This record gives sequence, C-alpha cells and structure tokens, in this order.
Amino acid sequence: MKFTPKHLDNNVNVSKSHPLTELLWLIGGLILIAGSVFFLLGVTTNWAAEKIPVRVENWLGGLALNEFPAEKSQALQQRLNALLAVIPAESPLHDYNFTIYRAATEDVNAFALPGGRIVVFDGLLAQVESENELSMILAHELGHFAHRDHLRGLGRGLGLAVASILFLGENNSASNLISKTLLTFQVKYSQDQESAADQFGVDLLTARYGHAGGATTFFERMSEEAGSKIPYILASHPHPENRIKALNERVKQKKYPVKQTLSLAETLTIPQ
Amino acid sequence: MEILFQNLDLFIFIVLMTLGYSAGTWAEKKHYRSIKKREQELLKMAVVTAEGSFPDDRIAKAELVSGSVVVSIDYFKRLLAILRNIFGGRVRSYESLVDRARREAILRMKEQAKEQGAGMIINMRLETSTIGRSANKKKRVGSIEAIAYGTAIVMNQA
Repeated sequence: MKFTPKHLDNNVNVSKSHPLTELLWLIGGLILIAGSVFFLLGVTTNWAAEKIPVRVENWLGGLALNEFPAEKSQALQQRLNALLAVIPAESPLHDYNFTIYRAATEDVNAFALPGGRIVVFDGLLAQVESENELSMILAHELGHFAHRDHLRGLGRGLGLAVASILFLGENNSASNLISKTLLTFQVKYSQDQESAADQFGVDLLTARYGHAGGATTFFERMSEEAGSKIPYILASHPHPENRIKALNERVKQKKYPVKQTLSLAETLTIPQ
Repeated sequence: MEILFQNLDLFIFIVLMTLGYSAGTWAEKKHYRSIKKREQELLKMAVVTAEGSFPDDRIAKAELVSGSVVVSIDYFKRLLAILRNIFGGRVRSYESLVDRARREAILRMKEQAKEQGAGMIINMRLETSTIGRSANKKKRVGSIEAIAYGTAIVMNQA
C-alpha cells in the first residue's frame, strides 16, 4: 500500500461557533431563568406574607437588622407603647414584641423590618414638631405591620438572594451584590401600601388622642419643602399632597374631630 | 471612582474576563498558526497506529519517541464551561484546548523522531489527562496534558 501524505484543512474536532455568541446565549438563558424565578417568588411571597407566623418573622428580622446599624431608643419606645395600648385586643399586632430603633442618618424616613422592629432616621425626627405628628408616623409604621408589607418587601429580595446562591454558589461576588442591593431597595413599599398604612395610622392616632389633629401637618410641611430636602421619601411614597387629600377624606368620612396638637416633650432630644 | 471601589469584586471579575478572552484568543490563534505550519513541514513523516512488520534487515534502528504538552484554560473559557454546567450540552470552549494539546503532542513526537533520522513512526498511542482536578471550582487552575508516543523506525538504505 502506498502512503500518500495529505494535509486536512477541515478540523472536525473543534466547533465552528464563536465563543462570544455562545456566551450571549448562555447568559441570556441564565437571565431568563433568574427572571422567571424572580417573578414566581414575587407571586408566592405575596401569598405567603399573609400566612407566615410571627415567630418565623422574628427570626428573619434579626437577619435583616444587621443591614441597618441603629440604636434602641427609650423615648420613642414609650410613645410606641402608648399607641399599642389602644390597639384592639384581638389584633394580630399584639403577637409582636415591638422594638424601636433610632439611626443617625440624615434621610427623612422611617421603616418597618420583620419581627416588630421599627427604624426611625434622625433626619425625620428633626422635622417633627408635635407629639401627634410623631405618633402619626409610628402608627403609619404599625400599619405596615398590620398589613404585613414589611414581609412582602423583604421576601423577594431574600428569595432572589437564595436563588442566586443556588445558581452561582455562596460567597460569590455576584450573589453578594444581588442580595445587598435587593435587601435595601426592596424595603421600600408601593404607593398603595403606603396609602393603606396612612389610613391605618390616622385611625390609630384618633384612638390614641381622641382626635385626628396632627395627622396631616407633617405632610403639609413636607409638601411645602418638596423638591428640596426630601427626594428620598418621595421616591417610594405618594406625593405629600395626595396623602393629605386622602387623609382628610378619611377624617371627614369617619367624622373624626380635629383639635390642637401637643408640643413635643423635652425627653426627645434631637440633634440638629 | 467610588462605585469602582464598592464593587471591586465585580470590577476584578470583568477585567479578568476581558483579559482571559483577549489573551486567550490571541494565544490560541498564534498556536494554531504554528501547528498548521509545522504539520505542513512534517507532512512526509508517516505516523500510523498499526504495529507494522518489516524484514529484519530493512531496519537500522527502532526507538521509542514521545512528545507531551500541557495547555492551560483561561478565565473566559472557564466561565463558558461553568455556564455549561448549568445548561448541559457540548463544552465547546474546551474542544479547541484538547485539539491543540493532542496535535502539539504529535508534532513534538514527530520532531523528536526527525532528529533521530527516522522516516516513520509506528504503533503511535495518544493519552490525555487533566492537571489540577475540579478545575471549574474557584481559585483552581485547570490544564490539560496530552502525551503521544510511538516507535520511530530508521530504515536501512535499500
């Protein structure tokens, strides 16, 4: 047999596709999967938020609080306890062991974390002028607990972090980034949730003081300053003017009396 | 600048990825050019996997020749392979590595045989192994080793 040397130009052992095309397909698929997981988590979280027992929530809250460095405040706690005392005995809110924290941050905001933890920023306390206003804000946060908004907000962030850990592994830079950003962003609520919490707040405020005075004064000042100091609160909350309108309608509909507000007690020192 | 420091992990990842892709592609193209050129040069040297049998007086020398090579993966190829671990299918990014390693090993074996003055290699065998197990895990370097060996035959001038 004669040996004829011949060079083969066509290489069948290496695929012809471009590596970048392959990368795009794979990443596209990954995003699609992550997206559908995110969507499903959103649906299930909404459903589950109604049903999670308070005990499980307390445990979750411990994890979430680590994200927000804050100190317990005795002065705020007393005001919160006074509000809790007038909540009807059958309310599920009594299952919570509420703790209130003050965070040394300039932002004008307050929020509810799982497990009955409320965080109030110093920036917001500096804007408050009366006891009634402060109670209104605390009652608003209690409204988030009553409607379990804090779980709805946190649930998807937690779920996505879990999903990214499943796909990309723990301690992965990508999953760390996802869980960090989502835990902070998702704590904001939708405008509907905020309005519902406002309604709950004004009811509780009236139960506490016997009148609805101070329910809107805080938002009225916010409305005047809108655009300057408070872009943060505007992003997630309804516009102050809409909130005032909705609150006034509630007061009128329920025939709540409106009386003089109490000025802020000295015990609550506010750093300026 | 601040965003850059906050997400240093991600930034390093992107830099390594770009570096892996550009350097890896450049090295691969260069290697293939060299492989094709040398394959053309050594085309006359016959390599067969058959044992072969020759009359005793025809053979001047029969000697073991071998060529081995180690090729490393790059960051980009590894990322593609990791993504393939999720979806399954052909790991295309590693195909060229195996191809390069085997062809280079055969070429080195041929070069060694040529130095001995041999005209052909019989009974050629090819083996592949991985260096660095679990190469897809974090902070592990994965590479492939290929070794080709055979019997170089130097004929008597008839």
